Amino acid sequence: AAPPVATLVADRVEVETGNQLVAEGRVEVLYDGVRLQATRITYDQPADRLIITGPITLRDGEDTVVLADMAELDADLQNGVLRSARMVLDQQLQLAATQLARVSGRYTELSNTVASSCEVCAENPIPTWEIRARRVVHDQQERQLYFENAQFRVLGLPIAFFPYLRLPDPTLTRTSGLLIPSIRTTSQLGTGVKVPYFFRLGDHADLTLTPYLSTSTTTLEARYRQAFRFGTLQFDAALTRDDLFPDDTRYYVFGRGRFDLPRDFRLELDIEEVSDEAYLIDYGYSDRDRLETGARLFRARRDSLFDASLAGFETLRSSEIPIRDQLPGVYGTVSYERAIRAGGGQLVLGGDLEVLSRRSSLPTDGRDTARLGFAAEYRRSWLAPVGLLADLNIGADTDVYRTFDDPNFPDYNARLVPHAAATLRLPLQRNGAGGVRHLIEPVVQLAWSDTRGDAVPNEDSILVEFDEGNLFALSRFPGQDRVETGVRANLGVRYTRTAPSGWTLGAVVGRVWREDAVNDLGALTTQGPGGGFSPASGLFGTESDWLAAAQLRIGPRFALTARAVFDDDLEMTKNEARLGYNDDRLSLETSYVFLNGDASENRPRDTHELTLETAYRLSRHWTGSFNTRYDFDQDRAQRSGVGLQYRTECITVDLSVSRRFTETQAVSASTQFGFGVSLAGVGNGRADSTYRKTCNG
Amino acid sequence: CGFTPVYGPQGVARGLYGQIQVAPPRDVPGYILARELQQRLGLVDGAAPYDLTAEVDVNETGLGITPDQEITRIRLQGTLSYRLSDSSTGAAIRTGSVQNFTSYSAPVFSAARQSIAGNSVTVAVAEEDAVERLMTILADQLVAELLATAPDWRGPTP
Amino acid sequence: QETAIKFGGLAQDTSLPVEVASDALDVNQGDGTAVFTGNVLVTQGEMKLSSQRLRVIYGDGSDGAGRISELRASGGVTLVNGAEAAESREAVYNIDAGEVVMTGDVILTQGQNALSSNRLVIDLNNGTGTMDGRVRTVFQPGAD
Repeated sequence: AAPPVATLVADRVEVETGNQLVAEGRVEVLYDGVRLQATRITYDQPADRLIITGPITLRDGEDTVVLADMAELDADLQNGVLRSARMVLDQQLQLAATQLARVSGRYTELSNTVASSCEVCAENPIPTWEIRARRVVHDQQERQLYFENAQFRVLGLPIAFFPYLRLPDPTLTRTSGLLIPSIRTTSQLGTGVKVPYFFRLGDHADLTLTPYLSTSTTTLEARYRQAFRFGTLQFDAALTRDDLFPDDTRYYVFGRGRFDLPRDFRLELDIEEVSDEAYLIDYGYSDRDRLETGARLFRARRDSLFDASLAGFETLRSSEIPIRDQLPGVYGTVSYERAIRAGGGQLVLGGDLEVLSRRSSLPTDGRDTARLGFAAEYRRSWLAPVGLLADLNIGADTDVYRTFDDPNFPDYNARLVPHAAATLRLPLQRNGAGGVRHLIEPVVQLAWSDTRGDAVPNEDSILVEFDEGNLFALSRFPGQDRVETGVRANLGVRYTRTAPSGWTLGAVVGRVWREDAVNDLGALTTQGPGGGFSPASGLFGTESDWLAAAQLRIGPRFALTARAVFDDDLEMTKNEARLGYNDDRLSLETSYVFLNGDASENRPRDTHELTLETAYRLSRHWTGSFNTRYDFDQDRAQRSGVGLQYRTECITVDLSVSRRFTETQAVSASTQFGFGVSLAGVGNGRADSTYRKTCNG
Repeated sequence: CGFTPVYGPQGVARGLYGQIQVAPPRDVPGYILARELQQRLGLVDGAAPYDLTAEVDVNETGLGITPDQEITRIRLQGTLSYRLSDSSTGAAIRTGSVQNFTSYSAPVFSAARQSIAGNSVTVAVAEEDAVERLMTILADQLVAELLATAPDWRGPTP
Repeated sequence: QETAIKFGGLAQDTSLPVEVASDALDVNQGDGTAVFTGNVLVTQGEMKLSSQRLRVIYGDGSDGAGRISELRASGGVTLVNGAEAAESREAVYNIDAGEVVMTGDVILTQGQNALSSNRLVIDLNNGTGTMDGRVRTVFQPGAD
C-alpha cells in the first residue's frame, strides 16, 4: 500500500520561499494513528522536519498522550525531541520530563522525569507518591517502563532508591515481574513480608512464587495456573520450615482441575494434601478442616444423568485425629438415571452403586459397606379444567447391601422399598392495584412407602434437614440407607407478592402429619419411638413441627430471608436468617443461625450464632469495614475485625486488625494485623474514578 | 376475594401448562433444577412457544464455628437468574432473578458418642441433599413468580 | 541529483508583458473595461492563468492610461507557475501590487503536497503564498 499520507489542518498556512511552510492557528497534524495539536508548526520540506511551538498535545493511539511546550519532530512524527513535556499513559500514569525524545515511534526517552499517577493540585503540589529518575525509557511495543537511578518518594520524602527499575505500564495486564509485596503479622509467626513474583508462561499459563519470611518462618508459596481449550488447572502449594515445628518440613498442596470432555462429559479433579493439621490455619491458607482428594466424572442431559465419583478423606479436626482410621477413608459412587416419556408421563429408571471403606477393621466402628440399587418410578401429571394440578407417582427401589466387619448385619442383605404419592396443587392468582401481583398456592400431598426385607446399615442418612425443599419430598432422609415409611400427609401453602417497583414478598407454611410415628427402624439407631427422626430435626412424632419461611426483597439492594421450624407452643427447633443490603455507600451482610442441641447429630449444645460483615464508605477516600461473629451459646464474640482503607486514584492503603478469641491445644487465640499498599496506575487496571482526588480550587 | 385459579377457565396462565421448554442442564444441580422446573411447568410435547433458561450461582458460607475453630454449619446461598424468551424469535420476554439459601450440618465428633455422626460421607451426602433442596426451592419460587406475573408478560390469552 | 521542488517558483517579474487569448472579447469603451470569455488564457513570462471568464481593468488616465491594472478571472481559475499550480473559483491579479488573490475552494499543489482552503494570497514579488480559513494540507513525509 502507498505510504500513509500526513494531513495538516490550520487556520492559516503561509508558503514561503526556500521551501518553508508555516501553519498557524489550531494546527493539527495526523499521521498513521498519531495526532499532534499545536499553535504553530513550521514544516521544513527539504529537511523533512517540523518545528512546533506549543502548547503541544501528541496522542499516539488512545493510551499515550504527550503534552509539551516546544518540539522538533520529523514529518512522520516518529522521531524528535519535545521540551518540558508531560507524558500520560492510559489516563493514569503521568511522567513529567524536561525533555522527551521519540525514537522511531516505539521508544520514548524522558530525562529528569517525575512519574506518578496522583492528581496534583495548586494547593498541594506534592503527589502522594512519585518516582524521580534521571532517565526513563518507555517501550510502547513491549509496554514497559525502564527507570534509571530511580528514587521512590512518598509525600515528597525519598523512601527507596533503585539504580535500575522496570515496571509494566498500566495497559499491560499479564507480564512477568514483581507484584506488590505485603506484610503479615500474627502473634504466632511475628511480622513477616511476602514478596510475590509473577512468571508469565506464554498466553495460557502462569506461576506465582511468593517467599514469605518472618522472624520465625521461611516459607515459599506457589500458585500455578494453566488454561486449556477444554478446561483449567490450578495448584496452590507452600513449603515451610518454621519455629512452630522446628524439626520437620511443613507443606500443603491444593490442586483443582476442571475439564470438558467429548459428548458432554465433564471431569473434575481435586487434590488436598497437608503435612499437619494446624498448618492451614497457622498460615491462613484455608479454613477447610476436612481434606478431600478425588475425581468426579458426570454428564447431565435433559433426560439422563450419569454421575461417578471416587473420594479419599482425611480429617484435620483435633477431636477426630485419635479415631481417624474409623472415619471413612475411601468413598466411591456411580449412578445413572434415565427418564423415558411413556403414556403422557415419564418412566424413570435408575441404578447406583456405593462403596465405603474404613482403614480400621474394628467390629462396627471399622465397618466397610457396599450397596447396589435399582429404582423404577412412573410419574404422570394431569391438569383438571378447574385449574387443579394432579401429580401421581408410583415406584420401587431394591437394594442389595454387602457389609464387612459388623456383627449386627449379615454379610449380604437386601430390601425392597415400594412407594406411591399423589399431589394436588391449586395455584390462585389476583391482580392488585398498580401492577401488584398476588399468588396463593395450596399444596396437599398424600404419600405411602414401606420397607420389605431386613434392616440395613445407615451410612448416609444421619444429618436430616426440614425446609421447603423437602416438604414434599418422598424421603426426607438425605441418603438412601434410611426411608420414610408409613402413610403421611404433607400440607403447605405458598404466598407470593410481586410489584413493578421491585418489591417482592414470599412466604411458605407447611406441616407433616403421620399415621404412626415409627419409621424405618435400623438396628443401630438408638432413637426412641420417633423412629429415624430425632426431635431436633423437626420431623419427630406423628405431627411434625411447623415450617415457616419468608423472604422480602426490595429491588437489588435489600434481601431478607428467614426460615424457622418450631413446635405448637412456638419453641424454636431451627431458626436461620440472612439479611443483605448494599447501596453505593453501605454494604451489609448478616447471618443468624439457631439449631437446637441434638445428640444424634453430635451437637451436645445449641448452635446459636450471629455473623455480621459491613463496609461503609465514610468519605470519597476513606472506607471503614467491620466484621464479627458472636456466639450466643458461649455468650462472647468469637472473632471480630476492623478495617480501614484509604484509596485515591493513585494509591490504596489497607489497614486491618482482626482478633480470634478461641483457644484450643492446636489453635490458640491470635490477633492478626494487615497492612497493604498498592500503587494504582502501575501495571494494574483501571482505577475507579469515583475515588479520584479532586482539586476543589 | 378476587383470586382465580391460574390454569382455570379465566386463569391468567390458561393454556400455558406444558408450553414452556426448560433449557437442557450442564451439571448435576442443573439437572435437578431443570427436572423440577419442567415437572412444575408441565412436560412439553413437540415444540413449545416459550424457552426458559436458568443459571444458578451458589456460594458457601461457614457458620456455627466452635471454640476449636471447626465449622459445623454450612449455608448454601443460591441466586438463580432466569430468561424467558419467545422460542421462535429468541427475543427475551421476561428476565429476573430469585434467591434463597439452604443449609446442612457438619457436626463435630464427640468421643463420648460411639456413632460417628458427622463423618465425611454423611456430610457429603447431606451437602448433595442440600443442593437438591436449594434447586427445588429456587424452582418453586421461579414458577410462582412466572405464574403470578403471567398477565404482564403473556400477551392476550387465546 | 536532487530535484528540489522550490516554492520560490511563485516569484514573478510583474513588469513583463501580459498576453490574453480567448474565444471572444467584448470591450466597453465607457468604463474602459474588457471582458474575455471562453477558454481564456493569460500568459506573463512563465506564469499562465486560465479561466472561463476574464475581466480586464485598464489603468485610468494619468500615467497608466492604456496599461492593464487588474485582471479578474472567474468560472474556475487555474494558475500555473513552474512546478506550482493553484486552482480556485475566482482570482484577482493586481499587477501593480504584484499580488494574486484566489478565493473559493482553493487548492495549491506543490509536488506531492496539496494545500486546500478557501483563500490564497500570492505575493509575486517575494514568491510567498498565504492561505487561510481552515487550511488543510496533505503532504508526504520523508519524500524528497
